[in-house]
Amino acid sequence: MDPMKAEQSSRRTTAYDVRGLAEPDAVAPKTAKVTGDTAELDAAGLTPRQVNLELRRLIYGEGIIEVTLLNPGAMHSLAVGLLTRCRIRIEGSLGYFGCGLIDGPEIHITGRVGWSVAENMMAGVVVIDKNAGSLTGAALRGGDLVIRGQVGARTGIDQKGGTIIVGGTAGSNTGFMMQRGRQIICGDAGHGLGDSMYDGAIYVGGKVASLGVDCVEADMGPEDDELIDRKFGIYDMDRPDSFRKFVCGKKLWNYDNLEPHERKLVL
Amino acid sequence: MADDFDTSGRKLTTSKGIDTEELTGRTFPYQFDLSLVEDVDLNEATPGQDINWLEDIHLMQEGGMNAVFDRYTNAFLKIHFDIPEGRGDEIARKVLIKHLQEGNSYGIWLKHKHAKFAQPELGSWLANSQTVGENWKPSQLEGWEPPLH
Repeated sequence: MDPMKAEQSSRRTTAYDVRGLAEPDAVAPKTAKVTGDTAELDAAGLTPRQVNLELRRLIYGEGIIEVTLLNPGAMHSLAVGLLTRCRIRIEGSLGYFGCGLIDGPEIHITGRVGWSVAENMMAGVVVIDKNAGSLTGAALRGGDLVIRGQVGARTGIDQKGGTIIVGGTAGSNTGFMMQRGRQIICGDAGHGLGDSMYDGAIYVGGKVASLGVDCVEADMGPEDDELIDRKFGIYDMDRPDSFRKFVCGKKLWNYDNLEPHERKLVL
Repeated sequence: MADDFDTSGRKLTTSKGIDTEELTGRTFPYQFDLSLVEDVDLNEATPGQDINWLEDIHLMQEGGMNAVFDRYTNAFLKIHFDIPEGRGDEIARKVLIKHLQEGNSYGIWLKHKHAKFAQPELGSWLANSQTVGENWKPSQLEGWEPPLH
């Protein structure tokens, strides 16, 4: 079948409820193996909705505080919207939008991730052992997002808080429209670093291909070294010999009478 | 505190700023007494091995007073007591965590009425908090009839 027709056909057969929730009649499969306050869930053969329902059942309903997820199969939107403290270990790779909209969980992914991992994370820790795609940590609000490998373009786009740590290199437009928070890039950064950033700080250990609009280099201070040393200690990462710090040049800061107050609220 | 969901005392003004007192119509004891927040353990209250999301929380000013910004309400929580020199950010964070753990954040209160999916009320700040959003139904405008076509 023509791919477009196949997608249209698929959309027609997927049920949504008034909230826009897909598969509204799906139920948690109750297939996890529970041992005390830990559980192991095999995602093979389950839909993303079923996996997420099972995770909620375990964490919200059964009081499980540690879950190991096997065979994630690069599914999209896994482990999203979890709003409590817990630990999740994902043995494998995730597709798009993994671990988004979370507030509290500590998640370890042993494989790779696609676009927008941990987007809109409010609080928590997400550690990825391998590479991540573009838009990593989009609109991040808080918490730590650690990628031990490389990341694609626009890492931390619209970032509003939190700390993104990249062990390898970062693609173009890293920190695009960043409004707050911190990024620590151990390797090189692509073109357009910090383009149109409003606030926050980007630390780069390697070379910078080019700076974006209104992004300037700043002096490193003791508080910057304290942050980097602390985070690298927590995540057991090797620190490059030196970092350069990049911030907003504030040449594009044009506010009217109301906007300074709005800025204070939003940031 | 969620059972005490009463905002009848609030007085919304036309000022540019918003604060918790304006939205909820009340203040809370820990806004006035440092001793009530001194024992808050920030590391224990946050995920990971440091203060995690609280890294972005700082002591600010609102209406000429010390205040901390509650991102779950999008409003300031004023701090009325004197803050010891050099402890501004620490005290602001402790007041905010106390406010969240006691379930007094106005934005969190709204979960009882508007949460569309079952979720723990107090999220990551308090273990075993009650579940909200289990019985959400779409609101119906009085007198409104769905169109015939």
